[in-house]
Amino acid sequence: MSAIAKPLIGSHTTEEEDPREHLMHDPLPRGEMNTMVLESMHTTTWKYWSLAGFLTFIVLTCLVYAWYLLIMNGLGVTGDNRPVYWGIFLVNVVFWIGISHAGTFISAILRVLKVESRRPFTRAAELMTTFGLVQAGLSVFMHMGRVWLSYWLLPIPNERTIWPDFHSPLMWDFMAINTYLICSTMYLFLPLLPDLAMARDRSTGWRKTFYKILSLGFRGTEGEWKNLKTAMNIFAFAIIPVMFSVHTIVSWDFAMATRPGWSSTVFGPYFVIGALHSGMAAVAIVLFMIRSTMKNMKYFIRPEHFDTLAKLSLMVSMAWAYFYFNDYLVPWYGGDKWEKILQDFTQRGPIGWLWYVMLFCNIVVPWSILWRKKWRQTPWLMAIVGLIINIGMWIERYVIIPEALTINRMPFTWEIYVPKLEIFLTIGTFAFFFLLYLLASRLIPLIPVWEVQEGQESHMLRKIGKAKISTVSEID
Amino acid sequence: MSDSTILLAIFEDIEPASKGIDVLHKLGLSDDQMNIISGIPVKEAILGRPDGRTHVGRIAFGGAILGLLFGLFLIYGIPFLFPLDAGGQPIYPVPQGFIICFEMTMLGLMGSAFLGMFVDSGFPSYTPKEYVPEISAGRIALLFHCPSGKQKGFTDALMKSGAQSVIPAEANQL
Repeated sequence: MSAIAKPLIGSHTTEEEDPREHLMHDPLPRGEMNTMVLESMHTTTWKYWSLAGFLTFIVLTCLVYAWYLLIMNGLGVTGDNRPVYWGIFLVNVVFWIGISHAGTFISAILRVLKVESRRPFTRAAELMTTFGLVQAGLSVFMHMGRVWLSYWLLPIPNERTIWPDFHSPLMWDFMAINTYLICSTMYLFLPLLPDLAMARDRSTGWRKTFYKILSLGFRGTEGEWKNLKTAMNIFAFAIIPVMFSVHTIVSWDFAMATRPGWSSTVFGPYFVIGALHSGMAAVAIVLFMIRSTMKNMKYFIRPEHFDTLAKLSLMVSMAWAYFYFNDYLVPWYGGDKWEKILQDFTQRGPIGWLWYVMLFCNIVVPWSILWRKKWRQTPWLMAIVGLIINIGMWIERYVIIPEALTINRMPFTWEIYVPKLEIFLTIGTFAFFFLLYLLASRLIPLIPVWEVQEGQESHMLRKIGKAKISTVSEID
Repeated sequence: MSDSTILLAIFEDIEPASKGIDVLHKLGLSDDQMNIISGIPVKEAILGRPDGRTHVGRIAFGGAILGLLFGLFLIYGIPFLFPLDAGGQPIYPVPQGFIICFEMTMLGLMGSAFLGMFVDSGFPSYTPKEYVPEISAGRIALLFHCPSGKQKGFTDALMKSGAQSVIPAEANQL
């Protein structure tokens, strides 16, 4: 009995893919790429300034003014009240820290694994980490109420010689988030140095001075590259466990409490995977915006990059569903009275619809769209999927925090949380994130040109049999 | 090296640059008399150069140890100096120690790697340096000490090996 390979019914001959569809096989001279990136930074239209003006207005009203009202009147003007003391502020903290995970995941993990398609969008993702953490930090300060006393968190003794209690999960949080913010900002700056030097060489006026100061005198000598690559390698390996630790510790803020819905041993990895889920999706949104609004970006950010992100998103979405099921099943099986009441409230209570929206956004949408290559490579569709996933992930945090706090072991305190001023502050943090990104897009090169050139130098097509196969050589 | 001038040979690509280095070796220059400046990192082996040394790893390791010690101080030193009994909970708990020590160790490691990169590279440095902007446009430059009187011979040999230009290196404000 012999097996003969037959073409599938209805199959068609596959057309050979044009290698120039891939950035690594469509090289341009470095000088031209430099010009394209700088041109994208220098081009500002009336639409750009209108958007910047609008975002500034939102930041001034929804963030600055609303926060002023919060400080002047106290936390009573928010919806935080017994039994829900942790409302949207904490939802935002967890959400923004989640967003910040994308930068490290894409830049560090994909760098360590040598995933070549990461090259043009690592910086766009790293910027999200830094700006996302800024919003997370602001949300913590808002939640503190008396923000002027925030120095009490620093490891210095107060007037009664009492130091902060490092045995508390909130202090672990403080240490972990600050470590992550400091390290991810340094990690953003390191690979930026050669591009700042490039911008310095081609700028005049105030920009020249700006890039000259920031590039620190970088020329690209052997020693400088050696030191830079060594430092980047150390960061790429070291920041990965820090990334995992940050969201695990954030999850412990909840899991260390013996409350229904929170006391879970699976919360650490479940939070980490949730962070990656929203982070990946947010990168797709940002890349779509960069590609469609900035000049020359279609050359650098291509459908293949959305494809890479979409595959990661699909994988992460499946992992999220797995952890969610784990977190759901065990309390359900355990049959604890309060856990059962909470699950009933979450799914069939007055705001039970949120639970279904969450599952639809986080599972149904990505699973039904991201399996198809053509759709994965459609930037606008990926941006929409990214937006839907982020809505789902924000709701997930809402379900975990204020909804879970509504149900406790003292039924006489049960009350549904109704957010008030914090809605405006939430809008303010989103506007501030986009404003920072908008300003940064005109100040620092969003594309790491040297990394793209390095990738293009190391890629070549090799003929094997009848096909041309992409091969990569390590030149660095 | 008072009896020498510094020349800058500019190459379009890695191949001719590695040939240029061979030419300089044949003309009697040692590796420490030349330096490569490039717009992307290139492995030393590709250009036939000896492995460069960096202290960044050691500095980072030292920083990690300092970070660990600081973490130990925060989690165990503070309760030792100011013991505070909170509901009979342990004063010197081990699991919490792991968390704080881990975060501080990683902060020390990465903070020192960052600073170590600056220290080892001599950053920030705003003094005039031998450099041409073509380097950040993808060219590779060979910066070397040329014995005086032999400038023409070196220039001709490098041009033959594929250099685009060989010019006296002037220190300019970057």
